[in-house]
Amino acid sequence: MPLYPGPLQDLIDEMGRLPGIGPKSAQRITFHLLKSPAEDAMRLAQAIVAVKERISLCERCFDVAEDTYCVICNDDRRQTGTICVVEEAKDIVSVERTGQFSGRYHVLQGSLNPIEGVGPEQLRIKELLARLEEEDVQELILCTNPNLEGEATAMYLARLLQPLGLSVTRIASGLPVGGDLEYADDLTLARALEGRREIGNA
Amino acid sequence: MHLLSVSITNFRNITEAHLEFDPDGTTVLTGNNGMGKTSVIEAIGYLATLQSFRGAPKDALVRNGSPSAIVRAVVNTEGRHITIEAEIGAQGRSRTLVNRQPVKRRSELHGVLRASVFTPEYVGVIREGPSWRRSFLDNTLEVLDTRNEAVIVEVDRVLRQRAALLRNGGRRPSPEVLTTLDVWDDRLARSGSALVEAREALVAELQPLIQKHHDALAGASVPVTVTYGRSWEDDLASALVSARDHDLQRGITSVGPHRDELTITLDGLPSRTHASQGEQRSLALALQLAAHDLATARLGSAPLLLLDDVFSELDPERTRALLAGMPPGQTLLTTALPPPPEVEAARIYRISLDGWTMENPGGDGHGVAV
Repeated sequence: MPLYPGPLQDLIDEMGRLPGIGPKSAQRITFHLLKSPAEDAMRLAQAIVAVKERISLCERCFDVAEDTYCVICNDDRRQTGTICVVEEAKDIVSVERTGQFSGRYHVLQGSLNPIEGVGPEQLRIKELLARLEEEDVQELILCTNPNLEGEATAMYLARLLQPLGLSVTRIASGLPVGGDLEYADDLTLARALEGRREIGNA
Repeated sequence: MHLLSVSITNFRNITEAHLEFDPDGTTVLTGNNGMGKTSVIEAIGYLATLQSFRGAPKDALVRNGSPSAIVRAVVNTEGRHITIEAEIGAQGRSRTLVNRQPVKRRSELHGVLRASVFTPEYVGVIREGPSWRRSFLDNTLEVLDTRNEAVIVEVDRVLRQRAALLRNGGRRPSPEVLTTLDVWDDRLARSGSALVEAREALVAELQPLIQKHHDALAGASVPVTVTYGRSWEDDLASALVSARDHDLQRGITSVGPHRDELTITLDGLPSRTHASQGEQRSLALALQLAAHDLATARLGSAPLLLLDDVFSELDPERTRALLAGMPPGQTLLTTALPPPPEVEAARIYRISLDGWTMENPGGDGHGVAV
């Protein structure tokens, strides 16, 4: 494998370590940067530095934040009695886009995944328990991914939290809007049937 | 569903091949060993399942020195022509297109091309360990309904997560580990029970068909029994609870669909240990033909039947019996020896160093023998 001059090879190696970028893409991006104007490359470098220097995790909900707390925790208009539990900070953006939720969040920083060595201790679960007392929480919405690991995490939290006497709900899962029954897999369809609702007066 | 043609580039030892098939009858591929007859079968099988039925890794499917292999097939489904195209990368990326639309998972193929495969290695379903027989059931479930893939994949994933948990925290389990284990057990009990019920229902449907095909092949009625044996009693959830201490100590999951056995007896004796080689081959063939029958009945049309080198395995009487009882539908078979006279070949391709040649281009589909 041909090696490029030191700094160039360093950048290719660094790029190659990013998720979703293989050796070929790493090389292409690096040569693109090499050819682009110096100020473009500097802007990218500065953006990376700025993110690492100025962005940290919110001390309350572990969302990404520029201050001690994130924008949502700092927003007085958000209701405090309801917490929506998500796996990653990017999931907050998805929920926020719906405009259907006005409470606060809690980011677990992952899901239960023994293969990857992630157990309850690696997730921000202790911090969630502490918040339940501090913030007088009435409802907890478990909004982890509807895949195996996300479901397991939700089930774990439900077992842990239900004895505490607050309302613990799980987001519904089932058929995609605009989808076709014919193409739904059995598990999804079975889940959609389980979670059926009375139609009409609402 | 009929397979009209297949084009193969850089797959295994095939540099380039284009074959057209008789839509209803039998196409025979003949030629010496090592020329690529089985590779054609394997390439077609890949389009049906997106994996090699020989269990080969993807890079083994690409011809040495090529970046990727390409297999393209044209299928006629109820008068509609559908093109399936797979590019298999020697390292990393493979992709599949159905009518130029990318397909990500096997279940998204929706069984455009369905195939029942029989190869000499397939005798393992009788001769080898229980995992072969569980795979036979699971593969058949997937052919009957591609949506079964979801529950099979989930069971496998839960088992791997549970195994990792037991391995890392099993010996001196913390309260967290025990609660997490509850969660995985709950998932395993649910999806595992669903899978086992599906397998048991399948076995009940297969039993009479296996008997029928074995009788025909053997030329005599010898009782064949097929029994699904669960690795637990009552319900899986409580079995997992009872086995927990043992599982924590040993770091394994000792009950569940992955420990079940399918026992096949011939004339009252376990076929794995007591049947002769020839009997094992006939039984294996009967199993696959039964699955083929069931798929034909359930799906409304026969899957493509791919028989690789089946005659070298059977004595002349069983060969005649097989050919006499050939299921209706499209068949593709390979043979190194000249095909037996009973083969009603609609089309014969011969492979040599010069490539593939059609031996009877005027084949009209009515029993052109060689």
